[in-house]
Amino acid sequence: MSSCGNPATEVDALMPRRLKFDRSKDCVRCKEKPGNIVIRHAVYCKDCFTPLVNMKFRKVLQPCINKTISSSRRSKVKADGNLLISCSGGLGSSVLLDLVHRSYFSNRPPMGEDGKPLGGKDHPRNETVWKSAAVCYVEICNAYPEMRDRTEDVRAVVESYPGFEFIPIRLENAFDASWWESLGCRLHDKQFAVNFSDEGLPLSSLSTPTSNSTPLEGLRGYLTSLPTQTAIFSAIKTLVRVLTMYTARRTRSSHLLLGTSLTSLSVSLISSISQGGGYALREELQEEWSSEHDDNTELKDMLNSVRVVRPLRDIVMKECAAYARWNNVKVVGREKLSGANHGIGGLTKDFIVGLERDYPSTVSTIARTCAKLAPKDNPDGICLLCQRPRQKGIQEWKTRISIRSYDDAKLASDSHIPAHAHPSAETDQCCSRRIFPSSFTPYLCYFCHTTLTSRSSRSGKLFTLSKGNASNHTTVSLPGYVSAGLSNLGPGGDQVYPAGGKEIGEMEIWERKKTSLADMKGTVAEFLLDD
Amino acid sequence: MASDTLSLKIEFGGGLELLFSNIRSHKITLPHLVPIDNSMDGTSHVPSSSTPPSATDGDKPIKTKPADVTYLMHYLRDNLLKERAELFMENGTVRPGILVLINDTDWELEGEGEYELKDGDEIVFISTLHGG
Repeated sequence: MSSCGNPATEVDALMPRRLKFDRSKDCVRCKEKPGNIVIRHAVYCKDCFTPLVNMKFRKVLQPCINKTISSSRRSKVKADGNLLISCSGGLGSSVLLDLVHRSYFSNRPPMGEDGKPLGGKDHPRNETVWKSAAVCYVEICNAYPEMRDRTEDVRAVVESYPGFEFIPIRLENAFDASWWESLGCRLHDKQFAVNFSDEGLPLSSLSTPTSNSTPLEGLRGYLTSLPTQTAIFSAIKTLVRVLTMYTARRTRSSHLLLGTSLTSLSVSLISSISQGGGYALREELQEEWSSEHDDNTELKDMLNSVRVVRPLRDIVMKECAAYARWNNVKVVGREKLSGANHGIGGLTKDFIVGLERDYPSTVSTIARTCAKLAPKDNPDGICLLCQRPRQKGIQEWKTRISIRSYDDAKLASDSHIPAHAHPSAETDQCCSRRIFPSSFTPYLCYFCHTTLTSRSSRSGKLFTLSKGNASNHTTVSLPGYVSAGLSNLGPGGDQVYPAGGKEIGEMEIWERKKTSLADMKGTVAEFLLDD
Repeated sequence: MASDTLSLKIEFGGGLELLFSNIRSHKITLPHLVPIDNSMDGTSHVPSSSTPPSATDGDKPIKTKPADVTYLMHYLRDNLLKERAELFMENGTVRPGILVLINDTDWELEGEGEYELKDGDEIVFISTLHGG
């Protein structure tokens, strides 16, 4: 039983558990057949269950299909572009594939002898909501040594649905310059590297267009340089999301559907808040994404943005499991990784899943409450790493509320104190304002900056993915889309370069340096009054 | 007279089969009466065996109960599970995130672990968790 206090000392600390179902064991919908499943205290029979899931799915997705979000049932539903479904091979995305196919692609028009739809493709009867649909799978096996490649398993599942094109991607594509160029991302023949050991995240430019390392080495170097397990899981999640969004752009998709269930949405929300992602909470629920450094003007004219929708956000994992079982949905699955629970994401998942079992209604409360939250200020721009809104003045706020340095030599010599807080750290303490970006920090949201720099107080060691796999490099190359974003930065910080912009040598460089007390006194010496 | 053993069909899904030699469907035979503490003492440990449980352990009589789902979970953990028992059971019951269906009905409607098994029952365990 979950507790809401300390049951060892307080008698009333345990929350009383409600009965698993209300009233009778018969279905609450048809009121005739004996029930087969309990969903949030309500009992449903097998026959009523599938239409219920279908109804919840359509209720979320249908109003988001037209360009203008509308709940009107009369308006004709027609998407602006194609459809991309993100599939991880897990339960949620497998159920999503099945639901999308049954609802929008299974009633294909009757075909003539020539293989074309009867009445012609432009006949109103033959018009589909989306012209075409593709399924994107990001293979992450190279991020974990013990993980098996499941691309072919997922391909087999996707190909069992006629009409869906399969697009396999690999996580290491994020570090493949040629892959990004093929998507229309302007890298300006430059790749950036960052030093994660310094909180200022100083940037350096890699001289050769594609550098000597392979995309796989780039991925492993990036992940092994991250300070915590939490950071690694968050970084992988962000890379998968961004790769999928860019693929949606390439396939001219107006909609990107994710198989996030209510349970996994609640996990994401709580996990994101606890890692400092509260400002972009709305994007965790639903987002409209458009690439700011897209070189493909044809796509820019055609599509304003990709709408990321989670049509299973009212369906809990238990419903997904029962739906998959009773509708013969094939789930590829993935083994649980050892050590996965030590991150914030894993711990949050354990907590929410346990909560859902003991108090099923509380999980939906998390998502409903988060849906009411909105940030107070307008964003300062888009975070170059996660591509979500970035709050204003994050670094100034961080400087104000936290201890940045120790004067006491004893304290400063403590090994738990981060490098930037040591008195000997003469490097710039905050952001350096340069036209050519010298630091990654100003272009990151609070969540990403914390992910990249926050070290565990318990161990100063970097988390290693496998024995002997740790990176010895202090600087690691950044994903291609981040390099593209940094390349496009102009003097204003966020504006895009005009064609033929200034070379680095011509630009004004501003730096903020820590000054010693004696130097400061010397600067204002002539204005000081005598004692 | 009722048989002393129960034939059951066990199925795993949603990735849970990976813990059970990657085999989805198992057929097992359990004794009708099992130790009340769900221990495996005095009962057959071999799947498909029809050996009845011994009613005594030396001189001490073993307290028994009709075989239920809780006993089945202990049996599966001790006899069929190949790795990482913590991913299947927690605090004497099935781990949160695993859906249990008894003859295609949610086990919450059947009394969860206290459901008394009957000959020919089909018990399904589906993991709703994907990866880590």
